[in-house]
Amino acid sequence: MSAPEPALEARLSIEVGPSANRFVVEAELSLASGVLVLFGPSGAGKSLTLGALAGLVHPTRGLIRVSGESLYDSERKIDVKTHKRKLGYVPQHHSLFPFLDVTGNVAFGLPRSERNKNPMVPQLLEDLGLTHLASSKPASLSGGERQRVALARALAVRPRLLLLDEPFASIDQEGRVALRKTLREVLNRYKTPAVLVTHDPEEALALGDTLVRFERGRTTTSGTPASLLGRGQPVMVTGKARSVVESLGEGRGAIVLEDARVEGPSELLSPGEDGHVTIELRTWPRGRRRDEGAR
Amino acid sequence: MTDDPTFPIVLSLRLAAISLVLVAPVGVALAFVQARRRYPLRGLVDALILLPLVLPPSVVGFVLVVLFGRHGPLGSVLESLFGVRLVFTQAAAVLASCVVAMPLLVKTAQPAIEAVPRELENVGRSLGLSPLGVFFRVTLPCAWRGVAAALVLAFARAVGEFGATLMFAGNIPGRTNTMPLEIFAAYQAGDDARALVYVVVLSVLSGVVVLVAARLSPKDLTA
Repeated sequence: MSAPEPALEARLSIEVGPSANRFVVEAELSLASGVLVLFGPSGAGKSLTLGALAGLVHPTRGLIRVSGESLYDSERKIDVKTHKRKLGYVPQHHSLFPFLDVTGNVAFGLPRSERNKNPMVPQLLEDLGLTHLASSKPASLSGGERQRVALARALAVRPRLLLLDEPFASIDQEGRVALRKTLREVLNRYKTPAVLVTHDPEEALALGDTLVRFERGRTTTSGTPASLLGRGQPVMVTGKARSVVESLGEGRGAIVLEDARVEGPSELLSPGEDGHVTIELRTWPRGRRRDEGAR
Repeated sequence: MTDDPTFPIVLSLRLAAISLVLVAPVGVALAFVQARRRYPLRGLVDALILLPLVLPPSVVGFVLVVLFGRHGPLGSVLESLFGVRLVFTQAAAVLASCVVAMPLLVKTAQPAIEAVPRELENVGRSLGLSPLGVFFRVTLPCAWRGVAAALVLAFARAVGEFGATLMFAGNIPGRTNTMPLEIFAAYQAGDDARALVYVVVLSVLSGVVVLVAARLSPKDLTA
């Protein structure tokens, strides 16, 4: 019996922008099954690579094979159009059709004759906790609910591969944790492999089976998220105290530092789009080894 | 027949409706292409679309007469192949209305289409929609308010067309005397009361158009 085809194999060269300011992405991806995380700072080429997998961006050369079928092969001149790739796609923003209710959105990709009677639709609504919102319009939904609907809609057409472009980026921390759990559950239930773009190490650790790191348009390393994200590496914050420790209540305090310096895994230190760096540090119960818990 | 005061009203509305039916698919398609495609002569096409809006109507009428007149390059072809003469017919009035309504239609619909988030169209494509399917099931339902406003404005422009129609279709009582032409003719003949009837009708129509267009202002699409 032959081994099952890998969910995804891709080697891509992508060039975008005018010749004077050209951005080149060289990506090599491989996923046997589960979730592949494209990880790296903003502007490293992750979303561009995801766009190429979806057929929304045209590579200059390379190949894309999903479950053994070539979707793109520059040498064999194969370039399957986006609408024939049978891949699910969940963007970061603007993910729902505002003129349809939740049910209409979820059933959108089904053939007209099936939209009202395909059992997948109520099943997905239930799996994603959306049944009570079936008749709601997107404008009345929270960010997390919208992304749940987008996820259900992408899964309703039974995609061979799900492409998720930072789907949790506009959701609050609490919602993210819940949505990660739901995503993991539905991907397992529907046995759908996925490619997830993120620059959040916590998300990569929680969802990824395989991780590919992007730096300045190139894939540099790949492996398990835990091995690549420097789990256990210390983060050290040093600086000159400019205030006394201010009490915040419940045993918590705050101090202002001058010339603060942070050392740690470089992906934690990458500034966001607003130029700010936010790092969450957690204390651990006495007696627990530091390298077990710090991220 | 020529004294029937309702004739110019009915004729104007009928010709404008026919113009709208003809100009709508072309205009909306042009608006989509200009909004979504980048190609080498896009700027030139943009200028050509706008031209009838900035040219004096008499110039538009003159160009139409030159092109579609009996000895014009297009008029002679139409006559030799189909035996059709356009000048001084209702068809000429329709064509003149189409030409002047087109820029208003395209330039009102284009921003409405541009405002549709590309991500939504990409999602539509990923869900199996062809480019035409994306247009009809994603772009148009998102942009329908702006496109409807564009159609309303184009209809109003077609009803009110005067200069190009006068030159190309003439003011032939009982045949091509639309409301704007009738106002001009009545005023010249000193029949102010008759002119006033059409002035009121056109003013009311314009007021309704402005109200409808304002109510069709785009809604937030960022769901």
